Amino acid sequence: MQSMELPLVLFTVFSQAAIGLTLMRVVRTTADGTGSGDRDARREWGLIAGLMILGMLGSLFHLGHPLYAPTALKHLGTAWLSREVLFAGMFTGVTVLAVLVAGMTGRPWLAWLGTLLGLGVIVSAGMTYAPPALPALNNALPFAFFLTSAVVLGAGFGSWFAGEERAPLMARIFTTALVVGLVLNLAAPCVWLSGGTVMRMTGEAWLGSGFYWAHVAVLLACLGAVWKTRTVPAWLPVLALLGELAGRAGFFADTIHTAANMGGLY
Amino acid sequence: MKKQYAFLVDTERCIGCFTCAMACRNYYHQVEGVVWRQVHPLSEEIYPHRERAFLSLSCNHCENPACLNVCPVEAYTKREEDGVVVHHQEKCIGCGNCIRSCPYGAPKYNPVEKRAEKCSLCHERLDAGLDPACVQACPTDALQLVDLAEFERTNEVQYPAGYPRMEGLNPSTRFVLPKTPKMVRR
Ligand code: SF4
Ligand code: SF4
Repeated sequence: MQSMELPLVLFTVFSQAAIGLTLMRVVRTTADGTGSGDRDARREWGLIAGLMILGMLGSLFHLGHPLYAPTALKHLGTAWLSREVLFAGMFTGVTVLAVLVAGMTGRPWLAWLGTLLGLGVIVSAGMTYAPPALPALNNALPFAFFLTSAVVLGAGFGSWFAGEERAPLMARIFTTALVVGLVLNLAAPCVWLSGGTVMRMTGEAWLGSGFYWAHVAVLLACLGAVWKTRTVPAWLPVLALLGELAGRAGFFADTIHTAANMGGLY
Repeated sequence: MKKQYAFLVDTERCIGCFTCAMACRNYYHQVEGVVWRQVHPLSEEIYPHRERAFLSLSCNHCENPACLNVCPVEAYTKREEDGVVVHHQEKCIGCGNCIRSCPYGAPKYNPVEKRAEKCSLCHERLDAGLDPACVQACPTDALQLVDLAEFERTNEVQYPAGYPRMEGLNPSTRFVLPKTPKMVRR
């Protein structure tokens, strides 16, 4: 088992929540083409910017030398981590600007720009955490996990700001993302069991992990709550957030590195 | 092909004495828990004999190094003159991305410096015309320094069992496989 990388857990999950909220603003405010789904934009942008700033600050604790964090922008040519830092920095800038200029309704172009930059963060994070040294994740899965987390948390917390007419839309998107998250999380480790040695070890580690089952249980509980109440109760996104945090801790702690099997059959 | 220094690991000669790993440690005095060269016994599935066989491994000074490609601060360079992949510790911010990304586990986290570090192929010794400390210390000549541009053996392999096959990186280390031991019956 490797480290659960708490700063990276906080950074990835909080930034994905912020990106998901921005994406859901675009979805809500353009759902009927009138922008009538927008209400209390400043509070919502405040939450988005707050999550992003918290995540960025959290990520600094991951560095041995946090004061030199800005030098991480140097290697945009090949390092996806540099690109991730660039996109995350620009996205944070847009969210802060949006808080400053938003009234009760926001500026749609800022939500669009934020969504594009946010997708840049998710793509580059998906590439950063898919190195050849982690055979189970050396594919599109990290991107898929991150995008699903963003939509689950975006639609969940987005329901706080959706108003009555957009609440059912948020509930539908939330439910769909939960189902996709469940399928991905249940299928991935089972598929890994039939892979090479390190992939199989990863599958076994995930299936034996409390983080993994806590995440799956929360996804199921959220689905149950939406099914029972036909809405997204105000407390539910907080539970979903805890589930995503647990799942992400497992993502870092329970994924096996090729170097763990040197001298063994691969 | 350009000059590319590489380790040649002759597993037939290696007796698993750890002298290479100790020589590296004596030379660089890494902090506790940080190991640049490690001797890995081959599992019994791969070498099913009472006699054991070993892979002495450190950084492979890859042609397309994952560490160099993923480092956000450009702390890694690959030397034009001999292909050695050098980590410039003063630039490193300790993000751990190279440690996560190198499939061979060569970069390690130094908890005192709070930065990564790895085998430098003793490039300062190479520049002085000396062998790397591990190669110099190996009592059986199982560990040798070769230049892949001029290397002419034909019985070496790049990916022996027990070592991850990473064609995208093209690691420079080469291996001579262990032979089946002779059975002597009385
Ligand atoms: S073995 Fe690892 S650390 Fe060494 S050059 Fe290759 S990728 Fe980099
Ligand atoms: S730990 Fe240092 S050398 Fe490794 S990727 Fe991060 S900054 Fe680069």
